[in-house]
Amino acid sequence: MSAEAPTLLVLLALPFMQRALLAGLLTGALGGLLGSVAVLRQLSFFSDALGHSALLGLTLGVILGINPTLALIPFAVLFALLVSRLIERSRLSADALLNIIYSSSLAIAVVALSRMPVPGASLEQLLFGDILAVSWLDLALLAGLLVASVLYLGLTRRRQILLSLDEPLARSRGVAAERDRLLFVVLLALVVALSIKAVGVLLISAFVVMPASAARLLSRSFNAYVLLACGLGAGGAVLGLLASGLFNLPSGPAVVIVQLLDFLAALAAAAGGRSGAAAIASSGDRGR
Amino acid sequence: MGETILDVSHLSVRRGAQPVVDDVSFCLTAETDTALVGPNGAGKSTLVQAVLGLIPRQQGSIQLLGHPLGPRGELPAAVRDQIAYLPQQFAAKGRLPLTVAEFVALGWTPERPTCPLSLSGARRRQRREAVHQALQLCGCERLAPALLSELSAGQLKRVLLAFCVVRPRRLLLLDEAQAGLDAQASDHFHNLLFELRRSQGWTILQVSHDLTMVRRSCDRVLCLNRSLRCSGAPDHALAPPQLERLYGSGFVPYHHHHHQPQGVQP
Repeated sequence: MSAEAPTLLVLLALPFMQRALLAGLLTGALGGLLGSVAVLRQLSFFSDALGHSALLGLTLGVILGINPTLALIPFAVLFALLVSRLIERSRLSADALLNIIYSSSLAIAVVALSRMPVPGASLEQLLFGDILAVSWLDLALLAGLLVASVLYLGLTRRRQILLSLDEPLARSRGVAAERDRLLFVVLLALVVALSIKAVGVLLISAFVVMPASAARLLSRSFNAYVLLACGLGAGGAVLGLLASGLFNLPSGPAVVIVQLLDFLAALAAAAGGRSGAAAIASSGDRGR
Repeated sequence: MGETILDVSHLSVRRGAQPVVDDVSFCLTAETDTALVGPNGAGKSTLVQAVLGLIPRQQGSIQLLGHPLGPRGELPAAVRDQIAYLPQQFAAKGRLPLTVAEFVALGWTPERPTCPLSLSGARRRQRREAVHQALQLCGCERLAPALLSELSAGQLKRVLLAFCVVRPRRLLLLDEAQAGLDAQASDHFHNLLFELRRSQGWTILQVSHDLTMVRRSCDRVLCLNRSLRCSGAPDHALAPPQLERLYGSGFVPYHHHHHQPQGVQP
């Protein structure tokens, strides 16, 4: 290693790096946790659209002269509620509608930002994230959100599974599907809003989709699936950040590449384990 | 006559501007098995969903186990827990990493409502025991660790019955339970359903296209084509003139099952 490249110990002693690692841990775990449900509900593209549109929220913050992170929170929540209502009402398919919304908000935001830059942040930082700029306020908000998400999903585990499985079945068991969907969408919007600074607008959905997808391939129960998605999310983020610090790589993309490697490993492992899994189901018939 | 389990009175349901169910009234008494038959698009699934409060009704009243169903499907949880509904197909059974045991446990609710935080060790044991028994009753205890996505159609149907039997129920609503099953799996399913119905004291309303099965195992038939065209014992309601009125002339009333020789397992 060259003299200029920081060693791991030097890196870990830096306060901004400690904050960054903590932020990575929190956003990774949050992405994995919410992602595990979002993927089942087919909301991956929705989270992508939310992320892209967040740039518009940041731009609004700049125009109104408010702290961009704080401007983004109400923007993302309102935007998410509005878009999910629109999807329900529209005759267009959800993916077409989401595409129209996210590409136009991205375009409007980039044009506005070319005239009126965010103080202290380049467009590239906004697009790809700058985890080293994470503040203690961001960390406190992320930690609070993680606690709220764990509580909410823990308490509503049965409802979440039933809703993911089949909505009429869930509603026949007394689940208020509409209310639960809105609450989940709000939670997802908050996660996206608070993770944008660290992860960036373009890659946020990878945090939601990749750990959950890898976990799905490896899990043989729902509980294992959610825990594994969380663990892969948090672990991938910390490893990616360390790699980004050690090799001077952009942080968001470094994390996503680690998550991609996780996913590929899960694919390989799942292909190896599939034959064993099928045997359990077929052995059940012999009892008849 | 026994206790009234389901009382539907002058029920009308629209989908958009289209009336799908029109002024339908009927009653189910305890421990009877009633089939709901009719051509495609006759409003059978809609009727079942309206009875459960899953879709709004324009007119009429519904009483489940003596409790009125609210205009937006409101029903006391203790009543709802005694009713089980099995849809035709799960939207996402393949996407979800859910074991059979986890799925059957979703059907379980404690006899008395409790705060979800207080699912104590005793409750968990109670639930695990109930799941085990339900799987045993349905002959699928070996499937407990399998994922739902790994089951054959026949296995899935048995697991669905375990979901119903995991807690005491009084009313079962089945929407084309035998859809997607071959003749033999369909026989297995209906034999199991018949056994469970007698041992559990279930009252059943099932949408079906299999008139042979209906004739063999149901007590009563409701013939629906938007409105109720006829009802009564299978021999009466499924007589050729009634069927012709229901399905139109030229209808061939019975499915011909090609049964495999006894003793041959799939």
